[in-house]
Amino acid sequence: MFTKSMWSKLLTFIFAATLIIGFSSMAGAAVIKVGSLNDMTGATSDVGKDYALGIAEAIHYVNDTGGINGKKIKLYQFDYGYRIPEALTKYNLFKRLKCVAILGWGTGDTEALAPTVARDKMPYVSASYSGHLCKPEKTPYNLFFATDYSTQSRGLITAWYRKKWPTKPDYNKRKPRIAMCYMFASPFSSASIKAAKDQATMLGFEIGPDQDVSLFAIDTKSQILALKEFKPDVLLHTNTVMSVAATLRDSYALELGADNIIKCWGYDENLPKLAGKAAEGAIGCAPWAFFGLDVPLMDKVIEYAKKYNPGIPLEKRTIHTVQGWASALGLAEALKRADKVGDLSGPSILKNGFETMRGYEIGLGIAPATFTATDHRSQSEAKIYEYKNGKFSLIDSVDLRTEWPDKWANEWLGW
Amino acid sequence: MSTTWLPCGNYHQNYTEDHAWWQTKFIKGKMIFLALILFIVIPFVSDSYMLSVCNLIGYTILGALGVQLLIGFCGQITLGHAAFIAVGAYTSTLLILEFPWPKFLLDWGLAYPISIILSAIIAGVWSVLFGLPSARVKGFYLILTTMAAQFVTVDLIITQYISQIGGRGQAFSLPPGTIKVGPWVIDSDFKVYFMMLFFVIVCTVAMANLLRSKVGRAWVAIRDNDISAEVMGINVFKYKLLAFFAAGFIGGIAGAFWISNLAAISPDHFPWFWSLWLVGVILIGGAGSIHGAIFGSLFMVVIMEALQIAVMPLGDTFPKLLMDFLFIKEAVFGLAICAFMIFEPNGLAYRWWQIKNYFNLWPFSY
Repeated sequence: MFTKSMWSKLLTFIFAATLIIGFSSMAGAAVIKVGSLNDMTGATSDVGKDYALGIAEAIHYVNDTGGINGKKIKLYQFDYGYRIPEALTKYNLFKRLKCVAILGWGTGDTEALAPTVARDKMPYVSASYSGHLCKPEKTPYNLFFATDYSTQSRGLITAWYRKKWPTKPDYNKRKPRIAMCYMFASPFSSASIKAAKDQATMLGFEIGPDQDVSLFAIDTKSQILALKEFKPDVLLHTNTVMSVAATLRDSYALELGADNIIKCWGYDENLPKLAGKAAEGAIGCAPWAFFGLDVPLMDKVIEYAKKYNPGIPLEKRTIHTVQGWASALGLAEALKRADKVGDLSGPSILKNGFETMRGYEIGLGIAPATFTATDHRSQSEAKIYEYKNGKFSLIDSVDLRTEWPDKWANEWLGW
Repeated sequence: MSTTWLPCGNYHQNYTEDHAWWQTKFIKGKMIFLALILFIVIPFVSDSYMLSVCNLIGYTILGALGVQLLIGFCGQITLGHAAFIAVGAYTSTLLILEFPWPKFLLDWGLAYPISIILSAIIAGVWSVLFGLPSARVKGFYLILTTMAAQFVTVDLIITQYISQIGGRGQAFSLPPGTIKVGPWVIDSDFKVYFMMLFFVIVCTVAMANLLRSKVGRAWVAIRDNDISAEVMGINVFKYKLLAFFAAGFIGGIAGAFWISNLAAISPDHFPWFWSLWLVGVILIGGAGSIHGAIFGSLFMVVIMEALQIAVMPLGDTFPKLLMDFLFIKEAVFGLAICAFMIFEPNGLAYRWWQIKNYFNLWPFSY
């Protein structure tokens, strides 16, 4: 029989042994270490879980297909619950573990860490796609593989103007009317509003009163009623999916009669489930293909989802898994290029990795990625989908660089 | 009386001896040893991760001290302390970024130190505002009124209104070089560490002194039995509000200190969960003891980080373990509170007191 003191000795021994093994493992073997900050339990976990799963599965795929020129990636993936103090200590832990780059998450951690990653020269590939992060002068080490929010909003407005406005009875009789629904105080939601208004003005829209819709909103009737007088033809939504679904439902119930155009985080497979009939005809920007669509590499995404997370039914997986894959594969490519020149330091990953990419094709339905030393907008193309009859279909693709080359090059960088 | 070793029994001959901080040369030696560790060994041996963990411990201590004062010493249960920390952080940030400071104050690096004092005062006053219901309610009802502080302050005022001052990316991004104390720009974990030490020591000493004054005794009397305290002539309402002010003041310092560790500030930094966490810290550390706030913070931060590092090697075999660690961490937090409530209801501070007594009497303990 174990006595009380024997139990306590045994427990102390196990704890001490685990600690010793833990600390000793930090002296690493010949692998490339990458940190990943994810939100599985916090405020953005509705979209964060799938993204995190995508990251882990994509790193398995990279390792299974030769790694980084033969070296395996060791992924340290942590859930920080969208708590910023947690993100700060995790960042320092990644540095201590000698991670060469970090796959970050939302606006909260990305903005809190932006000057620090610049000082430490630590490449930080985030899922925050704010246009503010694209100017290397200000945020040299913040990167992402997606169409930035500002380009998404410009593309959405342009696509609606081209494809939908001519079908309206008032076409050529008056200016089209647009209003924007977003959380004023959220840097994430409001990131692209200035660009959206600029694009709407340029195309000759009449812009209605902005509506403050919380990211946690479940009732938006007052905002929709406030728009009734303005009678918008189209509403731009820049919140996440729960809040967008609430706005769509209320807009449908109160018969506002406006079309809906939605930024990437509000436009996924859960939108029709949450908004029901109100989601019919919703137009959104999705820089990646929806989960399961027939695009290059999607077979691998499905295969690895089945292999590593068999407990999650495929029908529950979303576009955010594909997003996670895009970030991880993009970073892996940058690491391969930097490793080829034999230097995996932060500046080398930036200069010899990311900034050598010119029209780099990841697959997964993503437009080719290009980074230069003066411009970190990886894509100029906004892919526009429409949800109709139970499926998402690509209806347009707006390439801002091709359509407005001067403005793209000289005016629109960094906001 | 020996000035080196404290003899068994209490041989103090006057109040000065009785209330002396360090009663013997041995205790003085121990404190000098502790100061050497804190000021020399830790900062010069630790890497930036260890220092950032130390800074998080300091931030937790500063938060927990205010909660300890309210719950542990004055018996006023609070679940809204993160709001007062947020008020301190936002006041300091706004003052630094928006206030037209005279040039000489900026040059001398005094803007931030002055903003800390003002932040502490404003957070204290804000805390008093939410302490007002304590005149009429206590217990569960007070918990709800203090929770309202979180929702009104962070979710409504800061998120909806304060965050909009100055436009996005201006007011609340703290560019490198903004936080300056005298000639030093606070731009590394190393410098933040020394600031943290300064604030923790000043706040701990101030609180310890306050508690052995008339005010502190009044708080303890209110905690033990507010009706008896009133019968004895203590103005219960006044002292309760004073406790809210002092707790808010320390919370304000915590918030203003924490911005030195950040490059940007947003309402996400001050979730309601943080208030709950701070209550957990003092329950584990020991309610009604300054040591409790310190031990609780050490326990909650160091044990969690150590556990995390310990599970890392298991990550190869169980890849989801690292991702699921936050679940483990929260489960450990809950279990630790249950375990402490059952097996060590007086917290770590009581265990520390027992250990000290054991060695004080050693080898002739009875």
